[in-house]
Amino acid sequence: MSDAQFVKVRYKLTEKVAQAGGMTAGMAGERAGRELKAQREEAQRSLGTMLGALEVMNRERTAQPTAVYDAATQMVDIAGLFDMKMFCDAAYSLSELTDRLRNHGRQDWPSIGVHINALRLIWTKDEDASEEVKAMVDGLWALTDRALEKPPAA
Amino acid sequence: MALDPRIRINLERSAILVVDDNPSALEVQASMLRGFGVRRQLKCGSAAEAQHYVASQELDLIIIDAAMPDMDGYDFVRWLRREAPEDKRYTPVLILTGHAARGMVEKSRDCGANFVITRPFTPEVLLQRIFWVAKDERQVVVADSYVGPDRRFQNIGAPLGQKGRRKDDLSTHVGAATDPNMDQMDIDMLLKPQRASL
Repeated sequence: MSDAQFVKVRYKLTEKVAQAGGMTAGMAGERAGRELKAQREEAQRSLGTMLGALEVMNRERTAQPTAVYDAATQMVDIAGLFDMKMFCDAAYSLSELTDRLRNHGRQDWPSIGVHINALRLIWTKDEDASEEVKAMVDGLWALTDRALEKPPAA
Repeated sequence: MALDPRIRINLERSAILVVDDNPSALEVQASMLRGFGVRRQLKCGSAAEAQHYVASQELDLIIIDAAMPDMDGYDFVRWLRREAPEDKRYTPVLILTGHAARGMVEKSRDCGANFVITRPFTPEVLLQRIFWVAKDERQVVVADSYVGPDRRFQNIGAPLGQKGRRKDDLSTHVGAATDPNMDQMDIDMLLKPQRASL
């Protein structure tokens, strides 16, 4: 194995960011927040469509865990850009559940179904961070944590 | 630690490439950058297209989604750091991740990105990471198994009993101090210029 080399790099970004002009970080954050607000409705619709696809998978129960995983992570990706913490947390739990299941060659539709129902509820409430919703998301995580303790379905 | 809202930041002249296979996510990220005042944004939906942009454009920053079909964000950064044209290899990269699948944790650590941003995040967090990149003074490590910014933010020396790989690593383990600490006056006297008697 050859020795590691250390290279000093100066990014062009460093010079450009420090140039005169621009705006304060506070103003940039506010402007970006306004841009995001204009797109939130569209994102909410898109999440609804993704949830619909997951509901179909749950009804038919023929999809592979990877398909559910991909759909769940896509929801994390979209909801995560809007800082939708509860929805994101629930979708993250579903991603974690299906990741564990696929790594062990297992499937657990009842647990997946509970997640999908919870996601639909949070989606309907449009990011209601009440204690009830938090408790529900904690429950999803408890389900995910215990997912591999159950014996595989015959 | 949150970015001080009074800090001035100028992204007007920066060229930023945003890569995401999800068109909605791509548009949302682009709108955040618009809010930050970035005028020159390049957007694409795959790592293959991003490779083309790297070869043909001057880029100041790349923001890429971790999970993409074919070549994912991690593989793209590995390619960038090792196989891209030499003058583009150390272009700073922010990786956006959603769920961190078990098999991807090491890949994420070893790919050579400047920072990883985990969803959910706010525009303030994205701006803060861009600012961190601009202020990033870490050296780039070029080794067989890793090319990218030094993952050690603090240089506290080589692990106990191991030979350090940095030039300025001590060659031996110094051990715990045995003498009592010097008081400040003694230290000041040591540093005080004194007339040398020849």
